[in-house]
Amino acid sequence: MEALALEHVVKSYGGHRVLDDISISVDKGDFVTVIGRSGCGKTTLLKTVNGLVKPECGRVTVAGKDIAAQDEVALRRSIGYAIQSVGLFPHMSVEENIAYVPTISKLDGWTKRERGEKVASLLELVGLEASIATRQPRELSGGQKQRVGIARALAGDPQLLLMDEPFGAVDEITRELLQEQILKIHESRGTTILFVTHDMAEAFRLATRCLVLDQGRVAQYDRPSRIISDPASPFVRELVEKRRRLEPRA
Amino acid sequence: MELLAQIVTLFQERGSWFLGLVGAHIALALSAIIMASAIGLALGILISEKEGLAPAVLGVCNVLYTIPSISLLGILIPFTGIGDRTAIIALTIYGVMPMVRNTYAGIKGVDADILEAARGMGSTKAQLLLRIKLPLAAGVIMAGVRNMVVMVIAVTGIASFVGAGGLGVAIYRGITIYNPAMTAAGSLLIALLALVSDLLLGRLERHFRKRGSL
Repeated sequence: MEALALEHVVKSYGGHRVLDDISISVDKGDFVTVIGRSGCGKTTLLKTVNGLVKPECGRVTVAGKDIAAQDEVALRRSIGYAIQSVGLFPHMSVEENIAYVPTISKLDGWTKRERGEKVASLLELVGLEASIATRQPRELSGGQKQRVGIARALAGDPQLLLMDEPFGAVDEITRELLQEQILKIHESRGTTILFVTHDMAEAFRLATRCLVLDQGRVAQYDRPSRIISDPASPFVRELVEKRRRLEPRA
Repeated sequence: MELLAQIVTLFQERGSWFLGLVGAHIALALSAIIMASAIGLALGILISEKEGLAPAVLGVCNVLYTIPSISLLGILIPFTGIGDRTAIIALTIYGVMPMVRNTYAGIKGVDADILEAARGMGSTKAQLLLRIKLPLAAGVIMAGVRNMVVMVIAVTGIASFVGAGGLGVAIYRGITIYNPAMTAAGSLLIALLALVSDLLLGRLERHFRKRGSL
């Protein structure tokens, strides 16, 4: 089943086409990584899905329904959203941060008493101690913040998860741990994930399908193994080659 | 030193009179503070949501703020007569400016990534304002409240020139009967009120600022 589709989506800023006729289809349960140079429209593409960016042409459908015809607030609450800068709310505890979407949408099963348990299990899911729930964001390390950000994105039990370089601001080791965790979450929950990154290795490691963007256009959209074995353009080949050159020789 | 001794004697002899003036002063200032806070907060929120209105509203507030207090009181007399009412209106007009400015600056200063995260997670406009913007702007808004409270308490001292009560009565009487100790005593109490308020509100401001920082 199709979880998400973009059809001929165009968006420009100041006469420059950031998204230039993008069409992709994402199946339910797919883990799609979006990769490309900085400024190639990755983040903009992600934001067209939850309506933070409105395309001037084309259509975005989530679970088969055109998002332009839907209630924006309800749509966003049903989609998990995690960003690089994390955007944790500094005046709320970890628990209140994680419970934000259920709280503002008055979700069932999230009364004050049940909240503690749900938050604890979400914290466990992202590899954090339950005791961290009472802390304030400013008391957390960078890696912990990222994890809380992911737990928060998962709190509404979304079918679709949008992640914009969520592991961008952490060290290599933490990033690998986080990658393992998100793979586990993807497997156990079957969530459809759209994941923006500029790290080739990360993109290939996580994806069931990888979307390569080049100057606002789809350069290639395929399984990572196919992209490596059969790059669709010189640009994609160059990206892949660069990746290869990074591999250790022995 | 002699003046100080006179002031002490004055407090001893006319303690209850001064106490009454302090009470009236607080009542006057507090009415204006409450009104200015409410109006200023509402206007500040309005211009942060409807950005187009900001230059006009801030401009008008700025102009009103620059009118000397004594002349603003004079200007109001033909319209609202003399007494407490005129004083409260004038004080409110003064107090609105720092409130509007700080509310606006506080909301505009909220981190863009935090706002985008909140929006992307499906906050309604009201939730964004009440749960994110205002709590995070609280530190800057409190700075405005503090500023405004100290100023209003001070300017209330002039209100007796239009027949209002408060410690200005002691100051004015001290001038007219040539009793510098009485004028000084009234001023001293006003300064004391302002200092105590500043201290207490400063604590509140620090609390909110800490809460809103990452």
